[in-house]
Amino acid sequence: MDGGFRIAYDSRVATAQFQVEVAVKRPLTGGYFVLELASDGANPVADAAPGQFVMLRGDWGRDLLNGRAFSVLEPIDSRRFSVLFKVFGRGTALMRDMTPGDPMTVTGPLGHGFPQPRPAGPTQILVAGGVGLPPLHLQARLAAAAATSASVEMFYGGRGAEDLVLTEDLERWGVPTVLATEDGSRGEQGRVTAPVRARLERAAAAGEAVELLACGPTPMLRAVRELGLAHEVPTYLCLEEMMACGFGVCLGCAVPVYGPKPYKYCCTDGPVFEAREVRW
Amino acid sequence: MSGAGPRSTPISIDEVELAAGFGPVALRSPILAASGCFAYGQQFDAFMDLRQLGGLSTKGISPLPRHGNPLPRIYETASGMLNSIGLENVGCAAFLAEKLPFLAELGVSVWVNFFGTDFETYVECARTLSEGSRRAHGDGGIDVLEMNISCPNIKKGGIEFGTVPEVAHRLTKACVEVSEIPIVVKLTPNVSDVVAMADAVKQAGAAGVSLINTITGMAVDVRARRSRIATTYGGLSGPAIKPVALRMVHQVAQALPGFPICGMGGIISGEDALEFLMAGAHCVQLGTINFSEPGAALRVTDELRGLMAELGIRKIADAVSTLEPYPVEPPHAESRPATEPEPKPKPEPKPEPR
Repeated sequence: MDGGFRIAYDSRVATAQFQVEVAVKRPLTGGYFVLELASDGANPVADAAPGQFVMLRGDWGRDLLNGRAFSVLEPIDSRRFSVLFKVFGRGTALMRDMTPGDPMTVTGPLGHGFPQPRPAGPTQILVAGGVGLPPLHLQARLAAAAATSASVEMFYGGRGAEDLVLTEDLERWGVPTVLATEDGSRGEQGRVTAPVRARLERAAAAGEAVELLACGPTPMLRAVRELGLAHEVPTYLCLEEMMACGFGVCLGCAVPVYGPKPYKYCCTDGPVFEAREVRW
Repeated sequence: MSGAGPRSTPISIDEVELAAGFGPVALRSPILAASGCFAYGQQFDAFMDLRQLGGLSTKGISPLPRHGNPLPRIYETASGMLNSIGLENVGCAAFLAEKLPFLAELGVSVWVNFFGTDFETYVECARTLSEGSRRAHGDGGIDVLEMNISCPNIKKGGIEFGTVPEVAHRLTKACVEVSEIPIVVKLTPNVSDVVAMADAVKQAGAAGVSLINTITGMAVDVRARRSRIATTYGGLSGPAIKPVALRMVHQVAQALPGFPICGMGGIISGEDALEFLMAGAHCVQLGTINFSEPGAALRVTDELRGLMAELGIRKIADAVSTLEPYPVEPPHAESRPATEPEPKPKPEPKPEPR
């Protein structure tokens, strides 16, 4: 790259590939880590919206060829941003072993994020599961910082207490939060969709306008989609599919949709999709 | 090691000329972007100066638009990836109207990959693209029609065209007859005799061949007891397939000297590119690397230029098909033949010039 960032030819999203260094790797519970990355100069991730993502790749040689997609957890300032990860495969195992100063290549920010919280708009019910936390964590952060009458509520689920990370942020921001764990070790016992269902029923009874924003494992997203459709509530799902490029070239991250074409692309059309559109 | 190969005198980087010839097609550089890994070029405008490319090959175009395969469509494997995208594309008409004008203005060699689902649609596609390009852009539109007879992803047609020499010959001949634009045939590695395929399309009037397409492969998710790819098999690409690609390029170059070969398969560095040129390719395409490093083609071009300077190679033609044989070993015997002279003591090494 020769300095400045240009606008992609057929996209509204500023896209560039640039170098960063690992600034901080902060272990959390449950095998989760926050990875804070810093570039020398300003980088475009500073303007990332909740749901937008980056493709990350370390200096890993030829074995692992492609970058890995991560939602932006926090655009910290013009040079620094963070992502959340948990070790699932070969790429995240290498990320776990990275240390401050290690170089990474970033492409992004990519994709289109969640609808912003709107003053006097519907209450946004944020539903997060596992590593799906970052976009909703960022949405809650921005809503709290905006200090408008826009309101968000977080519903956050995991297998056990150790899977619920960064909840102290939600407390600090004063975001109403319902936690759920499958083993009952923290919050309500069971899947997070149970309290979400109860919340939707309360909203329906009170005639309260709400919308659902969800990110997490696919089974959770399927359940949230069903809930949103059943309650006729606007529902936005942040999806994750296998991606090689992240910018609309490999066509690997197809998402089945209803509409004139059978597929859209998680990277360029999403990753946030309206539940009604998704052909699941 | 038996011999370090020919010594070379480094030259200045400014003395290196990257212009390459591919039969009737002139290229400003031998580095092109490969079909299926560069879309229709536009997305890469944000990452690089596309005018620095030798050229690019578009996503494969069919007469009618195609929507592609169910997901999952891709899976990363050791040093490579499997894909089964399903030849999704905008179709001939939309390509000519919406995509080609952008490419025609770039001034680089525009290779349009195309395919059909049967004999007639292959020929129809070649005719439509050739006529449409000439009508709208004269000589400045499509430079090469790269005929894909090898993509392993269509259930019907594709693989047979790519594996039976007589069929490939007939199809190539029919497409060459309706096209004013040179036809280069992209061959599949999923055959036992790639030379027979290359010879068949050469005899049919192909301007050259592109070698290789992906190698059919598979990966399994043991926890889900499913293939990692919805269509079960996918095409393997990336550095994992480079040795196979080099071998096939070399075989065809040896059997059909002078016949233009565009080499591809896992190239991610200038040295990789030079390996292909020395093995017999006249130019190369970069594929999978574009996904993780969208500016890779220009880095590889710079690396190639630097390596040519280091090795004293002035022109691309001076690299193509230039592999040296190893020295022949004397026949084995229990003792050294008396006729062989005593080995001379090694001369003192001359001091390196400063």
